[in-house]
Amino acid sequence: MPQVKIIAKNFMDMVASLPAIKLDILYHNQFICEAILRSMPPLAKKYVLQMLYIDVPMTFKSLQEWVLADGSSKHQVAIDRLIQLRVLEVIDRKKETTYKLKPTFQTNLRKHLIYGGILSREPMPSNVVARLPTLEELDAYAHEQWECFLLQLISSGQAERSSSFSSSMMRIFQRGLLRQRDKEAPRLTESGFQFLLMDTNAQLWYIIREYISNSEEQGVDQADLIAFLLELSFHTTGEAYNLNTLADDQEAMIKDLADLGLVKLQQGRRERWFIPTKLATNLSVSLTDSSSRKQGFVVVETNFRMYAYSSSKLHCEILRLFSRVEYQLPNLIVGAITKESLYNAFENGITAEQIITFLQQNAHPRVAEKLPSVPENVTDQIRLWETDLNRVEMTPAHFYDEFSSRDIFESASDFARVHGGLLWEDAKKMQMAVKAEIHMLMREHLRGNK
Amino acid sequence: MASAPSKLYADDVSLVVVLLDTNPFFWSSSSLSFLQFLSHVLSFLNSILTLNQLNQVVVIATGYNSCDYIFDSSLDLKRSLENGRMPVMCSSLLQKLEEFSFKDEQLSKEEPEGRIKCSLLSGSLSMALCYIQRVFRSGALHPHPRVPIDSCYMGAQNSAFLQQASYITGGVHHKPQNLDGLFQYLMTIFAADLHSRSFLHLPKPVGVDFRASCFCHKNTIDMGYICSVCLSIFCKHHKKCSTCGSVFGQAQSEAASASDKKRKTPET
Repeated sequence: MPQVKIIAKNFMDMVASLPAIKLDILYHNQFICEAILRSMPPLAKKYVLQMLYIDVPMTFKSLQEWVLADGSSKHQVAIDRLIQLRVLEVIDRKKETTYKLKPTFQTNLRKHLIYGGILSREPMPSNVVARLPTLEELDAYAHEQWECFLLQLISSGQAERSSSFSSSMMRIFQRGLLRQRDKEAPRLTESGFQFLLMDTNAQLWYIIREYISNSEEQGVDQADLIAFLLELSFHTTGEAYNLNTLADDQEAMIKDLADLGLVKLQQGRRERWFIPTKLATNLSVSLTDSSSRKQGFVVVETNFRMYAYSSSKLHCEILRLFSRVEYQLPNLIVGAITKESLYNAFENGITAEQIITFLQQNAHPRVAEKLPSVPENVTDQIRLWETDLNRVEMTPAHFYDEFSSRDIFESASDFARVHGGLLWEDAKKMQMAVKAEIHMLMREHLRGNK
Repeated sequence: MASAPSKLYADDVSLVVVLLDTNPFFWSSSSLSFLQFLSHVLSFLNSILTLNQLNQVVVIATGYNSCDYIFDSSLDLKRSLENGRMPVMCSSLLQKLEEFSFKDEQLSKEEPEGRIKCSLLSGSLSMALCYIQRVFRSGALHPHPRVPIDSCYMGAQNSAFLQQASYITGGVHHKPQNLDGLFQYLMTIFAADLHSRSFLHLPKPVGVDFRASCFCHKNTIDMGYICSVCLSIFCKHHKKCSTCGSVFGQAQSEAASASDKKRKTPET
């Protein structure tokens, strides 16, 4: 099966790819330092804090002493990440390389830890702001906006209302996720299927990444947008912030963010404000976080029947990807996981692991407490059905026949074996199959022998 | 004297319960003033909250007469998740600490004199462990959480109790040499989340003192008397067990000579 994977890379990869000058400007903001610190692997976070008050450069060896032998690979990953984000500066000396924290980052993080950070934006006083939505209402709103957007993304006909994103913007989001042939309805690509099965945070990062990459073409500075988004994640969920505290390009962005469900726009008699939702405040959290998981809704039984307590069209579409939906009641979707439906999914590029992960992550609270949340016989069978399609493995090869003498045959087969390319041989008939990769080498070897 | 943090595990997320020793008898004679100590600790707490959005910090003050919670980062002040901001955290923590010290001092006036000037560490440890149990029972993720107890010890002597506690629970025990750099010690040794600890080079216990301490004087002893009901240890013979109240019989030597007369074959 083709293993196409869209890895919704952490936002930080995008940050890391900014030019050095812009990154330096970003690091002047304490909150961005904090967001970047939080995005690092755990060991890297530790190293930053340990080196926070060390002003002398440290040698590679002394850094290695911090970690045990078991952790040397994690150590390397952490160091690489720090260098990639330009948090750690490499000073090449003649004897050995030394490392030092980037001064801007260091100073600002120190200030942040000792004095704490204060947002430049204050929430509006409650007497000016009319009835604010409760946290539950806000969550529901965010969820609804996001689902609507997703539905429109994958099939514009299904959405109840269209977002204010221009059609060109939607096309950019759909790039890579949908494929359209002439006179046909757009179909999801393999990446599109995988996108749907990812969890909300990962999907959000993907969309935001596309949005920001596109903004450069529209003349808006990427670094500014990134800084604004990161700052947004430190605002308080549910509090109102005045729109007049935003710069022009930030105000333009706010409207788009409202469509995605990151903020809610409201207006009073004289003022207009925005309220960050949980989707926004969870932006600075890493992709593996579990708090962003919404409540699960799927129950899978050992007889392969599936009950999904949801009324969302999006959920129905997702379940249709790999199961046979049988009934749809006002609050319940009943279906079954069958061989045909799974084969259908596999053909579309979805892997068994993705399906199983989706079922596990969205397990209904009643079954989520049990281990395993999805019955083992179901998960095993899904994997078996996947391997069914992989029964035959194909390797490009060349077939050699009619060797003039046994010696040449044997030297050729030894040669192939040494190079790890011997797939099959029959000593009696003096025939062998050799991997295509070493075909050229074999030819030279055989020519040399003559 | 010491501050012992206890931690919980879920990926990189930590719940750190810090037990701060506020015993005035110790702090009045310590080289590091309590204020300076607090500034190091507050920065340490802030760092833990910065590392991960889901990290939680709880501070329990271990006093001379009482123990109490003085800070819990999960309690919303303004229906927000981000209330661990330094200025807010500082002021509420310091205020509660002041109230606590005042109350603790008041309780001293009612106490009879002559008590050993030690902090109620066992009380605050129990409070910490109960809190952790409650969190886990509502989380339903790990039924038996692993709670290592780290101890950071300041002071002249060594604490066998803390060494043993850290060793048995898999935590780290350390006595910082240079108290000016306390923050660096706290960051390097005590701020590691549970998962990373298996990869990091942390101070290992060298020669933990495993001897028991007697319940009456808190001295470490090698030989002593044990109550057969509750297993409390005493260094000298008592008529009654101070923990469970069971009455002890005569001392071993007297009892043997008494039963000798009854037995046919005398036992030595």
